[in-house]
Amino acid sequence: MSTDMGSNGPDSLLARPLNWLETQSEEVYAYVLLMPAFALLAVVAFYPLIETFRFSLLADAVASADPFGEFTGIDNYLNLLSGDTTFTQQFISITTADSFPFVEFGAPFLQQAIFVTLAFAILSVFFETIIGFGQALVLDQDFYGRRWVRVAIIIPWAIPIVIQGMIFFLIFNPTIGFGSEFMQWLGVFGSNPLSSSSDSFLIVLVADIWKTTAFMALLILAGLQSIDRGLYDVAKVSGASPWQRFKYITLPLVAPALIVAMLFRTMDAMRIYGLIDATAGCETVPSLTCLVIIALQESRRWATASAVAFLTAVVISGFVVVYLLALRNNDGGVT
Amino acid sequence: MSGDATDGEVVSETDPAVDIAEQAATEEPELDRGIVEAWAARMISNPQLAYRATFYVATIFFLVTTLFPFYWLLVLALTPRNSLSEVGVFLPAGFNPGAFIEIFTTLPFHRYVFNSFLIATIATVAVLFVGSLAGYVFGRLDFRGRNPLLLLVLVTSFFPPAAFFIPLNRLFNMNVDVLRPLISAGSLYNTPYAIFIPLSAIFLPLSIFILMTFYSQIPDGLEDAARVEGTTRIGALFRVIVPLSAPGVATAGVLTFISVYNEYFFSSLMTDGQPESWAPMLEGILRFQGEFEVLYNLMAAASIVAVLPVAILVVVAQEKIVSGLTTGAVKE
Repeated sequence: MSTDMGSNGPDSLLARPLNWLETQSEEVYAYVLLMPAFALLAVVAFYPLIETFRFSLLADAVASADPFGEFTGIDNYLNLLSGDTTFTQQFISITTADSFPFVEFGAPFLQQAIFVTLAFAILSVFFETIIGFGQALVLDQDFYGRRWVRVAIIIPWAIPIVIQGMIFFLIFNPTIGFGSEFMQWLGVFGSNPLSSSSDSFLIVLVADIWKTTAFMALLILAGLQSIDRGLYDVAKVSGASPWQRFKYITLPLVAPALIVAMLFRTMDAMRIYGLIDATAGCETVPSLTCLVIIALQESRRWATASAVAFLTAVVISGFVVVYLLALRNNDGGVT
Repeated sequence: MSGDATDGEVVSETDPAVDIAEQAATEEPELDRGIVEAWAARMISNPQLAYRATFYVATIFFLVTTLFPFYWLLVLALTPRNSLSEVGVFLPAGFNPGAFIEIFTTLPFHRYVFNSFLIATIATVAVLFVGSLAGYVFGRLDFRGRNPLLLLVLVTSFFPPAAFFIPLNRLFNMNVDVLRPLISAGSLYNTPYAIFIPLSAIFLPLSIFILMTFYSQIPDGLEDAARVEGTTRIGALFRVIVPLSAPGVATAGVLTFISVYNEYFFSSLMTDGQPESWAPMLEGILRFQGEFEVLYNLMAAASIVAVLPVAILVVVAQEKIVSGLTTGAVKE
């Protein structure tokens, strides 16, 4: 057969399966080519996900060689949700319970973590959407040097998380950074922001907004550029003000792209770990992923950690469903 | 238009029969205004000017907020160690470029960066190869189960890495005798495999979507022609479709490389942090923070060195990044 020429002779080890593949139907061919991808996903995603769920139904065995004890059903979840699970480290230095993150001292760890994670996700996505929209509107204009402005806006998105953390760790370091001094002058921060939960929460929030607004901006920009420019001309002729053009043309048409961008950002924000670990530390600003690591490394409570990890996944899927519903409604409404 | 609305009262006083253009010309000089009001009035009567001004203010604001932290990092890196507490906001307290040498002598920082590069490169090659096969199938073939399988790929990117970590950690710490000839310890922990295997899988879905989009745009005729010329199906994929979709492959490659290089979660948990155990760049930076608590200038210098590769990549490949991010998301 002429197919032999394609595999170039000498490596008959490779040629044989390739020839076999030639004789198969398109369907078999498709499944064979998908095998490597699904093998990788199975090892790294599907199998661990199922295992995590199985682990979360077992008891903690802190002292024994195998960290998992007997089957306990949903006890881990019940203990976590009712606040009975406590960790060696509780939230320290909550001085401002009545102001910003509103976390009260002594609240069960998981509730604090869920609160921190949700508050972080909602606030960061909110500000990123607004600022990202601004950046997208700027980038949508035609002006000299647009390319370089775009590079400048993308660069924070492309830097490693550890360096993002380092930058904000240094800026808000009380001895050298200017950030803390400024915030103290405003009266927002206490004396050592990086060990106070509410101050650190703000630092992490600002750092996240600084880095990932660009992602939002790019996705919104793509939405903006897909809008038919003719619509604006029609609106101009019929006398719509720029604000009206924005409200009645730009906003509805960009909404699907906006919701997709917000979905991606929310999923990402709920996984927050690295930024916290590199700046204030997981004990100061405990997110859900932080909780997994603390349970795992500091108290060797693997089963509890698995339950928290699975719970994180459940919370994220909840958000995904909400967004998908919004997207569906939106599609029905506009088009 | 907005001028009419604001000057509504003036309009109502005048004779309704007067032409609108005449109104606009006559009403302005009647008012005695301060500087701010005059400026506001000018903006109102000429909205184009206001938009232009807002645009420049916004652009400059965005440029300053995104770039200033980098500039200050440089300021800090250049400040000599003993005057660190006097470092200014805009200018360094002294001039000491030696910090950029010192980071390589106090720690083998180059080894950390090399490890990161190696891991990111292997992961990129693996993702491009596996993603090409899958992207080809999803983009060009029609078969039963296509949509459910695509959904399955998508779903994996919803889950947080923490939900995969515990079993993977156990798996990679397990001693597998088969691996002994390859890896002295017998387990994958403290090897590049422990980082690039999970990261390849986590960033695979995005690449599949990007490649799928690009591959589906190649006309069928080109593939058929290659097959008539006598190449295999796989041959047609790697000799015709992949080369013709070079921009798409580059996009997926650049995004995967940046993502793996920047990743934190697995990179920080899958090694013990020693450069000999293939710890990536992030461990190097964190060691500057952990062990040398007051050497802020070295932390800054190390950060700048580690940021340079990705910054260059962004400048060179910004179009690819933009198109990749948007196709990846729009595919949804």
